[in-house]
Amino acid sequence: MRTLKKEYVLHLMLLPGVIATLIYAYGPMAGLVMAFQQFEPLSGFFKSEFVGFDNFRYVFALPDFGQVLWNTIIIAIFKMILFLLVPLILALLLNEVTRKWFSGFIQSAIFLPFFLSWTVLGGVVIELFSLSGPVNGLLTEIGFQPIMFMLDNDWFRGIVIGSDVWKGMGYNMIVMLAAIVGINATLYEAAEVDGAGKWKQVMHITLPGISPILILLGVLSLGGILNAGFEQILIMYNPTVYEGADIIDTFVYRLGMFSQQFGPAAAIGLFKSVISLGLVSITYYAAYKLNNYRIF
Amino acid sequence: MKNYKTMKMILLLSLSASAITACSSQGNDKGNTSTSKPSTENNQTEITPPDPFGKYAEPVTVTEVLGFNPPEDSRTPKGITPDQNAYFKDLKEMMNIDVKYKWTVPSSQFEQKFSLAMASGDLPDILELDPKNFEKLKKQDMLADLTEAYEQYASPTLKKYMESDGGFAMKTYNADGKQLAIPAFEDPFLSTQLLWIRKDWLDNLNLQAPTTIDELEKVAEAFVKNDPDQNKQNDTYGISLQKTLFFWGFDVRGLFNGFGAYPSIGDAQTAWIKNGEDKLIPGLIQPEVKTALSKLQSWYQNGILNKEFALKDENKAVEDLTSGKVGISYGEWWYPNWPLNLNIDKDPKAEWIAVQIPGLDGPAKSLVPKIRAGKVFAVNKKAKNPEAAIKMINFYIEMGNKQYLEKNKAENGYVYNWFNPRIYNPAQIETIYTEVNKALDAKQTEITLDDENYKNVADVFKAGTDFLAGNTKDASKGVNWGQYYSRAAKDGGWGTTRKIKESGAFVNNEFYGLPTKTQVEKGAQLDKLMQESFTKIIMGASIDEFDKFVASWKSLGGDDITAEVNAWYGEQAKN
Repeated sequence: MRTLKKEYVLHLMLLPGVIATLIYAYGPMAGLVMAFQQFEPLSGFFKSEFVGFDNFRYVFALPDFGQVLWNTIIIAIFKMILFLLVPLILALLLNEVTRKWFSGFIQSAIFLPFFLSWTVLGGVVIELFSLSGPVNGLLTEIGFQPIMFMLDNDWFRGIVIGSDVWKGMGYNMIVMLAAIVGINATLYEAAEVDGAGKWKQVMHITLPGISPILILLGVLSLGGILNAGFEQILIMYNPTVYEGADIIDTFVYRLGMFSQQFGPAAAIGLFKSVISLGLVSITYYAAYKLNNYRIF
Repeated sequence: MKNYKTMKMILLLSLSASAITACSSQGNDKGNTSTSKPSTENNQTEITPPDPFGKYAEPVTVTEVLGFNPPEDSRTPKGITPDQNAYFKDLKEMMNIDVKYKWTVPSSQFEQKFSLAMASGDLPDILELDPKNFEKLKKQDMLADLTEAYEQYASPTLKKYMESDGGFAMKTYNADGKQLAIPAFEDPFLSTQLLWIRKDWLDNLNLQAPTTIDELEKVAEAFVKNDPDQNKQNDTYGISLQKTLFFWGFDVRGLFNGFGAYPSIGDAQTAWIKNGEDKLIPGLIQPEVKTALSKLQSWYQNGILNKEFALKDENKAVEDLTSGKVGISYGEWWYPNWPLNLNIDKDPKAEWIAVQIPGLDGPAKSLVPKIRAGKVFAVNKKAKNPEAAIKMINFYIEMGNKQYLEKNKAENGYVYNWFNPRIYNPAQIETIYTEVNKALDAKQTEITLDDENYKNVADVFKAGTDFLAGNTKDASKGVNWGQYYSRAAKDGGWGTTRKIKESGAFVNNEFYGLPTKTQVEKGAQLDKLMQESFTKIIMGASIDEFDKFVASWKSLGGDDITAEVNAWYGEQAKN
């Protein structure tokens, strides 16, 4: 109590954040009631009919649901792994660059696509990989047959994952670089005295040094495991690649927006959140057990 | 312990706070509609008899939303936005009505945006609805009863239009004696599919316009391989195609019709045809569709169709037409008006003709709906002045009269296709055709007709005489040709359509009721199934995929829809 009195200003500063969270994150949760209703928007929550778990039964019985769930998981897992691996490698390499201006330039260049929206980048990617685009131009130049990347299920998924990693890797890279810079320099000096080369230094100092950050990034991305990138896929896909690229979010979007089946759409949304919550809890617990890692 | 209690209090307080805000915003909505209802309005109508063209004493504001295409007329001032449409100035002057847009979006996004508006319950006063959305809003009791407003305020001309089909379309949108919408219905033959083909390319290659599918294939192959535009480059393909297979334009409805297949009228849902014994069958799953698909597949393989059609939307398809990359497209009578006129202006050698669609042996029958009413106008139940919508319809029809001709021009900022609610003379195109041809044949310099059709007829007459005389003082060759060739030329869009109508070369889509329950619920799913299966087959999947598609279509709701549609059909037969 005494501490609260002493620090009440600090607690006061917390208040706007708490209120905003309650209004924007917890308030809308009331809307989840939709998942158990035959929801008619103009009648609202109070007059719509309650149908129990009918919406869930309906959704799980839809023939596409399994495919959609599988696509979501596979795309998300690849994105998660690459989002840790690629920026890590980049950060380690950049850390060895001694010329400051060059390192800065590369960082900015890699970070840049992070700031562009998928509306712009999606169009760019489609053009790049179209039949008359530069990628196919290059392929035919070196003697390959042109490939219809955007209309082929196998290629499309790869392009979705690749382009998303390319767009977002700058962000994680900067976070990791910051963590690397934060490692005590005397450790490296001591290692050098003991005769450790660059490789050994990375393995025994850098990696263990930034492992909390790696785990944090991993836990955070697990929370979004069922977000395989709605906006990106919505802009880039077409009926030919529904089979390999239709994810939960695009599915919900079509279900909610075009068929106006709000109940089932909300049911999938709730399903997704429950799974995500479970996954985060498991990883968080595992991280705590394995690495004694805690956020709070 | 104390800490815990405070936390709990904060949580409770903020939860109840959010509950209160949620409630109060709803309360506000209701408050607005009830309190601000003008009390003068009711008194006024009692004193003065209703005048279809009368001016409100106090300004009346109605809200609308709009999905818009760019202005069709190239003479429209550049950069004009929908709320600057000059029609609104006149509307204000004549009736004291202010139109406020809640939002405007390009038409390609309208459907989504409107769904969102429906989901949030944030709807404007005047609603432009397709039958599906009409059905949904009707079910939720959101539509104002227009019976009285129509009785009292509809102008004689509007009433004449609505009665021109025996009051049939109006009746469709009447529920329990309440008129819930005014249908914007038109001559159903406006949907007739034609084959549009580059005549100059045919001439360059010494070919005839095709009358059978085989001939069409030969012509299309020649258009791919033999450099029809003679620019010494291999840059053309045969038949235009875009990702939405059944659509309002640049699609393959007509091509399927050529095989005796009648899959859809353009809304991605199935069409319904008679099978002889007074039952309706879904055209989308008949064996003829399979034949047509396998032909499309072989055309895809040998380059007659664009390899990346599945990535092209209608805008990209139009670009190919206007930039001279493709010389054959299936479509309706209006193509010359847009986009073929753009091609004519770009390439002075370009020449397009319309022919009846080729079939397996000789010209084929085109699918024509029983009723063409893609949209209806309804009024939000919360709207203060439902009759304002009727008055606005009167206003638009009135603007067609001779006295407004000079003022009401694209270059003055009048964009007709941005004005809603807009009801046409259902026989408008036919009137234009007969009146313009009468005047042309008699070598008149003025048209004689003098009613609300004047402007439409006079515009086409002027464009026609200018085009025939090679006069491009007021509009480009393409604009003049487009107006003339779509509506008035005897071998043009409507001219060819009339011949098809007279010779009976059409098959009817027999279902014209409102969407059935299962159609509303499962329609989008079935649509996705069709797009996915058909696109894959065209791009090379096994043709047997079609049989799988048929089985899934039936089990995913198609059988239910068939039963519902036939129940409706039985009802119709009794009446």
